[in-house]
Amino acid sequence: MNNKLISFHEVSKIFKVGDENFTALRDINLEIKTGSFMSFVGPSGSGKTTLLNLIGGLDVPTSGDIFFKDIKLSSLSRNMMAKYRRENIGFIFQTYNLLPVYSVYENILLPLLLNGLKENTVRERVIDIVSKVGLLDQIKKKPSQLSGGQCQRVAIARALVKDPLLILADEPTANLDSKNSLQILELMKELNQQYKAAVVFSTHDEKVTRYIDREIGLEDGKIIFDK
Amino acid sequence: MNWDIAKKNFFRQGLRASLNVFVTAFSIIALIFMLSLLNGFQAQATRNVVNTDVGGGHYIAPGFDILSPTEWEDHTVKIPKSLSQLDDKDKAEVLVQQGQLYPNRRLYPVQIRGISMNQSLLKLPLDNLFNFQKPIEDLIPAVIGAKMAKKTHLNKGDILTLKWRDKSGAVDAKDILIIDVGDMLNPRVDDGVVWLRLDHLRFLTDRAEEVSWVAVRNYVGPILGFEYQSVELLMADLLSLWRQDRINSKILWAILMVLVCISVFNTQILNIFKRQKEIGTLMALGMEPKRIVRIFTLEGGLAAFWALFVAILLGLPFFIWFHSVGFDVSHLSESTLPIRETIYPDYQPLEIIYSLVIVFVLIVTAAWLPVKKITKMNPTMALRGRAIK
Repeated sequence: MNNKLISFHEVSKIFKVGDENFTALRDINLEIKTGSFMSFVGPSGSGKTTLLNLIGGLDVPTSGDIFFKDIKLSSLSRNMMAKYRRENIGFIFQTYNLLPVYSVYENILLPLLLNGLKENTVRERVIDIVSKVGLLDQIKKKPSQLSGGQCQRVAIARALVKDPLLILADEPTANLDSKNSLQILELMKELNQQYKAAVVFSTHDEKVTRYIDREIGLEDGKIIFDK
Repeated sequence: MNWDIAKKNFFRQGLRASLNVFVTAFSIIALIFMLSLLNGFQAQATRNVVNTDVGGGHYIAPGFDILSPTEWEDHTVKIPKSLSQLDDKDKAEVLVQQGQLYPNRRLYPVQIRGISMNQSLLKLPLDNLFNFQKPIEDLIPAVIGAKMAKKTHLNKGDILTLKWRDKSGAVDAKDILIIDVGDMLNPRVDDGVVWLRLDHLRFLTDRAEEVSWVAVRNYVGPILGFEYQSVELLMADLLSLWRQDRINSKILWAILMVLVCISVFNTQILNIFKRQKEIGTLMALGMEPKRIVRIFTLEGGLAAFWALFVAILLGLPFFIWFHSVGFDVSHLSESTLPIRETIYPDYQPLEIIYSLVIVFVLIVTAAWLPVKKITKMNPTMALRGRAIK
């Protein structure tokens, strides 16, 4: 059975910074399988976030092709790309990126509403996942009333609630203390096994490496190891 | 769903949204207030001129020109039957002659205006003149306006000399008694005008049955030798001033609208700038940029709607109250405008609706224009809060 989820073929990404060109990724070839739990590691500027953005369809490569299953991402229109993200990708950001005026419940509900589901049909599902991330007693609170660790749990629940094939987590533990970081990683590992969604981190946090199944090292936009 | 999101975003923005709504609402109230006050002012001033001088138009004696005082004596004629037959409530016979008044040993050129005492077409404070039944062998009863009294330092009961020429050109003079100082409202019938009974003026100038013009309630068709001057013609200077006033008020209206739109535009720009990360997050969650534009525009629309609602809520009691107390413009007694009373705003429903619709459309447009930027935003830059610099 073909369990290939994402594949990169000679992907490069060049940014224009003033009059200069900055090569963020060079000729990347890569495959991500369904259900995998992996991370991109490397120093700042090595291309981790760019790689995640390309996988998530938030950006397009300068050259090369990215495939989601058999679909070439660069051939998708902006609206189709939005649909791709809506239906298949869950994002977890370093700064959580929760919507400030929404409650925990509403933040987690939003991706489902975007997928055309009615609130009354998914209410239980939202409450269930809120309970899984241990925030049932905070469900009506706004992000500003939560701690960093709690916010990241909401972000994880928001990413998982729509049952995506792939979760992209950009430095999810960077803003958390050690205790909260470990809790988040354990939670993600547990949810990865339970929901079978592939989880891809970008991190330079060594704690993450203890939990992952596969680690890809990046430096100056190139893969330097894959283990 | 767009509506639900926009509603939540708008209502939960708190102070920022409220300030925007209140600034816009107060501007709307100011707009309506300004327009209604101008309407009220123009309507009252026009009414004053019509009631005290113009009526429904004038039948002017051949060759008579109010701007040529030296020729007034040469252009008076006997009132034709077709006009004299009109009811007293539908006509006012007026005879105008040149004269000189000598208040406090000064010479003051005046317009001596005789008016039929039975007329009820023009509303002038001449009751005392009407009631003066004594013969005029010694003193001629006269009424002057408050403005004229102030300028000449004359008071009720003063006696002074008036000089005029009669029909044969002979100069005559007699003392007049100021039997009343009336509030004329209209400077045209006040400043430099001495009011006499028409029968007295005709007697003094030997112009039996003669008139300079006849003010009528309605046009009664062409009359041989008489030129009919319509209300529009008689008030041409004032109407042109009103037109200029309208243009000025429109400029002021436009300035106020521009300020409102800039405020809304600015708020939206600030909104988008501050909410770049939120926009980026919505994009990452799979919301199409066009949908985000719709949501932000709906938020702008909601602000416009609430601004209208608050304007009605706060404006209505204010407008009702203001309509009952009016705006005291007694300080305008020194001006040459035909108004020196309390101005009451004149609310024109159509004008208000039309203004509100324009305000609504402009605010929504001002809210939509900056939001368009979102469609061009790069999601990764938006997520970093660097899509707009």
